[in-house]
Order: sequence, then C-alpha cells, then structure tokens
Amino acid sequence: MDCKQASSLMHDYLDEDLTHGQAVELKSHLKDCSACNERFKELEQTEMVLFAAIKPRSITASDELVDRIMSQIPNQRKQQAWIGWIRKHPALTAAAMFLFVMLFSAISLWESDDQLVVKTADLDQVIINGNTVTVPSGSTIAGNLTVENGKAEIYGDVQGNLTVIDGSYYQASTAHIAGEIKSIDQALDWIWYRITDMFTEVAYK
Amino acid sequence: MVVDHFEARLVKLARKGDQGAFAELVDLYKDKIFHLAYRMLSNRHEAEDIVQETFLRVYKSFHRYDDKQKFSTWIYRIATNLCIDRLRKRKPSYYLDAEMNDQEGMDGYTLIPGDERTPESEYLLSETQEMIHQAIEGLPAKYKSVIILRYLQDLSLQEIGDVLDMPVTTVKTRVHRGREFLRKKLENKVF
Repeated sequence: MDCKQASSLMHDYLDEDLTHGQAVELKSHLKDCSACNERFKELEQTEMVLFAAIKPRSITASDELVDRIMSQIPNQRKQQAWIGWIRKHPALTAAAMFLFVMLFSAISLWESDDQLVVKTADLDQVIINGNTVTVPSGSTIAGNLTVENGKAEIYGDVQGNLTVIDGSYYQASTAHIAGEIKSIDQALDWIWYRITDMFTEVAYK
Repeated sequence: MVVDHFEARLVKLARKGDQGAFAELVDLYKDKIFHLAYRMLSNRHEAEDIVQETFLRVYKSFHRYDDKQKFSTWIYRIATNLCIDRLRKRKPSYYLDAEMNDQEGMDGYTLIPGDERTPESEYLLSETQEMIHQAIEGLPAKYKSVIILRYLQDLSLQEIGDVLDMPVTTVKTRVHRGREFLRKKLENKVF
C-alpha cells in the first residue's frame, strides 16, 4: 500500500466506512510509515475537534424571531389561497368574471333609465300628463302599449298587450284589453323581459 | 422514533394551515437553521434573515413537500440553498474582509452602537475554538456546506447527499477534501 491509498483509507475510517480487511491493511501501513502515522493522528484530532468545537454554545437566534416569522405567515396564506384557486379553476374564473360584468352592466342599464317611455303604434290615441299615460274611453290602440317608469290609466281599448315596467296601471271598468297585462318592477323580471323581448323582436323581423 | 412521529404529525397539521402546528415547527427548527446559517455566513444578522426566509419558503411551498422525505432534509435543503445564494451574491471584497478579520462575527451590524447583538468572540473563551471557526470560515462554499452539515447537524453522508441533491460519492470527496484542508490549517496551531 502506498501513502496515497493509505490517506484515502484514513478518511474512509473516519467516515466509519472501512471494512475489517482494509482496517488491518491500513494499520500495518501506519506501523511502518511514520509520516502517515502522524497524518492519521492529525486527521483524527481534526475530526474530534470539529465535532466538539462547531457545536453552538450560548449563541442563539433572537427571541422575537419566531414572532416575526409568524406575523408574516397569515397574509401570505390568504393571498396564496386566493391565487391558487384561480389557477386551479380558470374556466370557472372566466365564467364568474363574465357573469359579474354582465350583471354589472345590466344593473347600471336598469338603474339609468328613470325617464318615462311610452311605446305604441298609435301615439295619438294616448294622453300623456306628467308621468301618467292615459288611454281615454272611446280611443282604440291597435297594437301593444308599453309604459316604462310611469302610470298607465286605461279607460279605452287596447287590442294588444299592456306592459308596465317600474310603474303601476289602472284599468277602468270601461277598459278592454285584448292581450296580456304584464307588470314588471324587479331587476330579474326586467332582464327576463329584455331577453324575451329581444327574441320575439328577432323572431318577428 | 417518538420524536419523528410527533414531528410528522406537526408537519401534517401545518400543511393543512394549522398555525399553532407551524409555530411549533418554527420553534423546533429555528435554532438548528440559525446555527447552520450562522456557520455558513458568520454573520448574526444575515443568519436571522436566512431563518426567516427559510420558514416563509417552507410555508409557501408546503404543497411541494413530499412526505416520503424527512422534513429535516427538506428544510435543511431550503436553508442551505439560501445560504449558498447569499454567499454567491456577496462582494468579493467582503469575502476577503471576512477571512482576514480576526474578530469573528464582526461586521457593520455588530458595530452599530446600542445594538444588543454581540460578536461571538465574546462568548468564545478558548483560542482554539476561535481558530477552528476561522478555519471553517475560510473554506470554499462547496466544502463549507458539507462540513457544516456533517459536524454541526450530525447528518450522515447519505443525508447530506439528500440535502444537497448530489451523489454520496461526491459528498465523500468533499468531506475528505474539507477535512484535509482543515487539518492543514490547524496542524501547527492547535495540535
């Protein structure tokens, strides 16, 4: 065995990684070679000194470190959970965003018109006074009558439907309404009306 | 064995978001991580930063923790990598200063008056210990991490390999070279 081999075995010995046969070989080399013997002693001492000296004595982390760490945790967590959810459900997030935007625009649309709107083919047959729309007795409306944000008073004839949005209607005993009477005053009903209205319009055109 | 079981339970609870369990883990590991970082960086302030950063990383990446692995291995890996990054980012001049400085632990932070942090040299009564610490400080980073994990944290060569993500043969070579380096440094002073 040469000194280089012996040196490698010395380290293996310190790593507790030496077979019995190798240990015997190394020992016989150390007996004959004083340089290696000296080196072995030094390595052994280095090993012992390292294990003993590197150990922490009185120096420790400051006490408020735990508090500092724990105070940073919850914020981190909330944000993580929120972002994590979005990352995991891209389709749901997109759908939610879409609904949110739709609802928002619908509400703003619904709230924006508080003006009186009268829709009918025979505008000359009605009397508008303030926000009251009157169909006097004796006059006839050939088609539908729609009143938004106002009061409808019917004394005469309506041959189509009467629709009142965000308002009220009064039907006199002399009145005759051939079609349906619809009174809408809730956002959801209003949206439904818009949608069905759009479809019937599309269907008629 | 009992300790391992207890720790595994804590890890499980902490992963589910139990803050109390997480606080216990911090308490269990803060000193170990602090000593590791302190030996790596020889600076108290930076070592505390590393402890803080390590636990934040643990919290943030708990979903990536594989529970077949030992928790200690995982947290040591995070801490060691943070230390190695920190060493790399240091200016070379600081590096030289750190090596030549005869008062270990002295740096800008410890020199601030009124600061309660004390350089470790005040705790170290024995010259021998001081010499050994300086010798370790002078090790190149790749040997330093291996030596610290081996002698400070008492990890086996296999565990060091797991922490540093390298084959055991590489760990062995580094332990041997590091040991040889330290032997030469200490040979005429200590023995």
